[in-house]
Amino acid sequence: MEQKYDDTFLARWAAGELTSEELDLFEKSTEYSEYKKIIEGVNRLEAPSFDRQKVLAAIKEGTQGQPTKVRKLIPRITYAAAAAVLLLVGYFYFFDTTTYTTSNGEQITVSLPDGSKVDLNADSQIKYNSRKWENDRSIALVGEAYFDVIPGSTFTVITAEGSVTVLGTQFTVSSRPDYYDVICYEGKVRVDAAKKTGILTKNNALRIQEDSLFNYSVKDVTPGWLTGESSFNNAPIQLVVGELERQFNISVSNKEVLQKQFFTGRFTHTSLDLALKTVFDAMEIRYTFDGNKNVSIQK
Amino acid sequence: MANPKESVCEEKVFESAFSTYAETLRNFIYYKCGDTDQADDLVQEAFIKLWNNCAKVPFEKAKSFLYTVINNAFLNEVAHRKVKLRYRQNSSAGITHESPDFILREKEFQQQLEDAIAKLSEKQREVFLLNRIDKKKYYEIAEMLNISVKAVEKRMHAALVSLRKDIEYFK
Repeated sequence: MEQKYDDTFLARWAAGELTSEELDLFEKSTEYSEYKKIIEGVNRLEAPSFDRQKVLAAIKEGTQGQPTKVRKLIPRITYAAAAAVLLLVGYFYFFDTTTYTTSNGEQITVSLPDGSKVDLNADSQIKYNSRKWENDRSIALVGEAYFDVIPGSTFTVITAEGSVTVLGTQFTVSSRPDYYDVICYEGKVRVDAAKKTGILTKNNALRIQEDSLFNYSVKDVTPGWLTGESSFNNAPIQLVVGELERQFNISVSNKEVLQKQFFTGRFTHTSLDLALKTVFDAMEIRYTFDGNKNVSIQK
Repeated sequence: MANPKESVCEEKVFESAFSTYAETLRNFIYYKCGDTDQADDLVQEAFIKLWNNCAKVPFEKAKSFLYTVINNAFLNEVAHRKVKLRYRQNSSAGITHESPDFILREKEFQQQLEDAIAKLSEKQREVFLLNRIDKKKYYEIAEMLNISVKAVEKRMHAALVSLRKDIEYFK
C-alpha cells in the first residue's frame, strides 16, 4: 500500500508541499483519512510546560563566581576614544587606582573586576581601587554613568553629593553641577545624600536640584543615552544645554540669558542640527549656529 | 535578537540566547528521554557550558553549540530506556455536542496515538514532534540534528507510516 509513495511523500504532505495532482490522488485513497486523523490527534498535544525562570535561575547559580573569560572595553563612539582611555588607564595603573575618563562626545563601556558593567556618558569619570575591589566594591563618579551590577557584596557609588549603595541591580547616577539624579532600572538602591536618605525601587528616581529634592518615576528600561539619545524629565534648561555641549563637543555662549525653564523630552546624538532644533525651538529660545562648534543664544 | 557576532560573554547576549533557544532545546531533549526534570537539567548544563566557553562562541554559533553539547550529554548520560511521554492536551478540541460513544472512541484513539508515538524510534519521534508540536520546519530540524533535510523528511514519512500501522483504532 505504501509502495505507491516515495519515502518522503508523507513528510511533504504534512508540510503542505504536495502538488495539487498529488494531493487530489492522495485524498481519494483509503489511508488518507487515517493520516489526517493522526495529524489532528497530534495537533491536540502540547509539550509539558517549561519553567524558564527556574532554569535560568539555576543556570545563573551554576555560573556564579566563575570568571568571565573575556573582559572587554567596548567603545561606543570610536575606537580612537578607547585608545585614549587605555593610555589613561595605563598611567593610573601604577597607583592601583583605575580611572576611566570620557571627554565630550565619547561614551565607553567598562567591565569591572567582578564582571559588573559601567556605561560612562560623555565628560565623566570613574575611579576605583582594583587591588581592593574584591573586598570593597566602591567607585567614585564624576559625571553620569549607568551601572549593571553583578549580585554580591555591597556596591557603592560615591559622588560629591552623596553615595548610592546597591545589591545587584541596574541604575544610573548623574552628578552634574547643581544637579544630582539617581534612576533605578532594576532591583533596589539606597541613596545617601547630604539632605536625604532613601531607598529607590524599580522605575523610580530621585533628583536633587538647587537644594530641593524630587522623587519621580520613569518608564524606560535603560537610559536613553545608551541608545543614542539624551532624555530629560523636567530638567533645568541649563543642564540640557550642558548635555548638548558634552554630547556634541560644542560650546554655547550667552548661557547667562537662559531663564529658569524646565525641559522634558529627548534629543538625538546623531544630528547636531536636529538636536539644537529639538531643544531650542521647543523652548522658544532663539539661537545662531556657525555650522561648526559654536552656538550662540540670542539675547 | 542579539547581534550575530556579539560574544555570549555579555550577559544580555547570553540571556537573549537563552530566551531564543531554551524551550525548543528542552523539548528536543524531552522527546528523546521523556523526563522533564532530566531535560531541564540537561538544558541547564548545556547553557552553563556555553557560558564557560563564551569567549569562543559568538551568538551566531550558540545554537549549534548548544545542540551539539546537549546531544553528547544525552548520549553519555541517559540510558536508553523506554520513554513515557506526557503532554498537555490543548483544550481547543471542543467536542461538546458529540455522542458519549464518539467521545469515548476519540479518547481511545488519542491514547493509542500517544502510545504509538512513544513506540517510535527516537530518531523518528524527535523529528515528528519537533515538527508537529514545536512547529519547526524540516530545514530547522535538519540544522539541529546536523543531518540533511532529505533525511529529516524520510524520518517524518517513516514516523507517519509506523504510527498508522501501530494504531489499533484503524484496524
